[in-house]
Amino acid sequence: MSTVFSEEQRDCLQELINVAMGLASDKLARFLNTFVHIQVPAIELVNSAQIPAQFEAQYSSAEAALVSQGFLGNDGLRGEAIVLYQLENAHRIAALLGYDTDNASELEMLTDISSILTTTFLNGLAEQIDNSLSYSAPRVLSSRHNNMTEALIETACHWELALRVDISYQLIHHSFNCDMLLLIPGEAVLNIQQILDRIVEEY
Amino acid sequence: MSDDWLTGPILEQLSSGVLVVDEEFQLVYLNTFLQRHSSVQLTEAKGKSLFKVFADLPEAWLRRKFASVLELQSPSFSSWEQRQYVIKLPHLRPVTSSSQYMAQNCTMLPLNNPSGRRHVCMLIEDATDAFVYQQHLQTTLQKLEQSNRVDGLTQALNRRYWEEQLKLEVQRAQRYQQPLSLLLFDLDKFKQLNDQYGHLGGDSVLIELTARVRGLLRDTDWFGRYGGEEFGIVLTNTALAGAMEVAERICLAVSSKAVTFNEHSIQSSISVGVAQLDAAGERAHEVLIGQADMALYNAKREGRNRVVSYSAGETEFQLKTN
Repeated sequence: MSTVFSEEQRDCLQELINVAMGLASDKLARFLNTFVHIQVPAIELVNSAQIPAQFEAQYSSAEAALVSQGFLGNDGLRGEAIVLYQLENAHRIAALLGYDTDNASELEMLTDISSILTTTFLNGLAEQIDNSLSYSAPRVLSSRHNNMTEALIETACHWELALRVDISYQLIHHSFNCDMLLLIPGEAVLNIQQILDRIVEEY
Repeated sequence: MSDDWLTGPILEQLSSGVLVVDEEFQLVYLNTFLQRHSSVQLTEAKGKSLFKVFADLPEAWLRRKFASVLELQSPSFSSWEQRQYVIKLPHLRPVTSSSQYMAQNCTMLPLNNPSGRRHVCMLIEDATDAFVYQQHLQTTLQKLEQSNRVDGLTQALNRRYWEEQLKLEVQRAQRYQQPLSLLLFDLDKFKQLNDQYGHLGGDSVLIELTARVRGLLRDTDWFGRYGGEEFGIVLTNTALAGAMEVAERICLAVSSKAVTFNEHSIQSSISVGVAQLDAAGERAHEVLIGQADMALYNAKREGRNRVVSYSAGETEFQLKTN
């Protein structure tokens, strides 16, 4: 099973993601009543076995959250979206969302934030390829109390391919950085390649 | 739509709640499951504010959730693990659960009616089973933790846990410069007792002795089974004189009254060694045990059924003689 994207497919995917990110930032800006600037997201296709090592360094210094949400669409589009971010960052965005930052609602806050980021972005992506997605409830895989690397290793090993999307949201007074990982099983990768090929042909 | 004959009845038969509100949070739809569980009739509630119909909803929270669904046109979720229920509904398992309300997983979805007006649909799934299992799991883990600390026969702390506590209390006493004393005691002539009354007889004496001793201790003392018939008590914030008093009381409590076993009256006694913490450093708790053990040995040598304190200068060597 080939999980290597051609250059054309890759460009097409990057373009789709750029537009999806634009749509998401527009929605977020209106929802949060603040200016949201999103950099062009860097995407990278990685072997999912390499993921834990890649993130360990980046998130080991501070307390980080790891939230997972499954998605399922037509044409065999499916996978798991993982959002990683630092808790310190999360409290900033939580304040914007109107949360009081007591400990009891921290888990709820974490799932809400990542669900909003994931679904607005993926909806934008699905819209462009005439698809629509349904989502499972978000699940916190690890936060301040357990080991993020272990949780990542456990999750990543179920998937063949990971599409790593670096997202950086710049709000007017705050910055919010997170990483989104789209983990996609092998057969779904083939389906995505077909979708991408179709789009390339239509151009 | 041609599938109406399917979707209508299935929606009514679903064992999940389905609720729809418009942009003003006015009720548009409640399925049968919700109507029955909440005793609210759709015909009466339709068009009314959701927060008037269900007065005890977490209004601010739900408004925020619905607003994000409407504005972002993306789903929002609520899990029973974070919020046990959104709408207070009775569940159908009155006996098995300690909670009287249905635990719920909720999904809030954007929905447009045929004329394009935005709505929110909330799906409410009954998660009471998961909630009940989770509670069982937690009770079991607590019991497991408890049994990990306690000696099965006497219900005193087991040696491993007791020693951990001793070590912590010694560190605490050193840090705050408070006195701390240790009692080690041993049931006299336990082997003889076992030979005479059998092991069950010996066991019953150990159980009764532990109960009597426990009745004389404070909540802050740590009472553990150190070996077969040997026990230890950590007396926090207690100097030697106070510890001697406690030891005398314990000694008397055991010898003053016989233990009844299978119509036998078993007379027993204990010997107690007492020492106050004076060593410093990381091994202080081991030194303390050694000192109390020496005192215990001397209590045995001096004729049993008595309390002896450790006096400074005694050495390992004297312990080993005889």
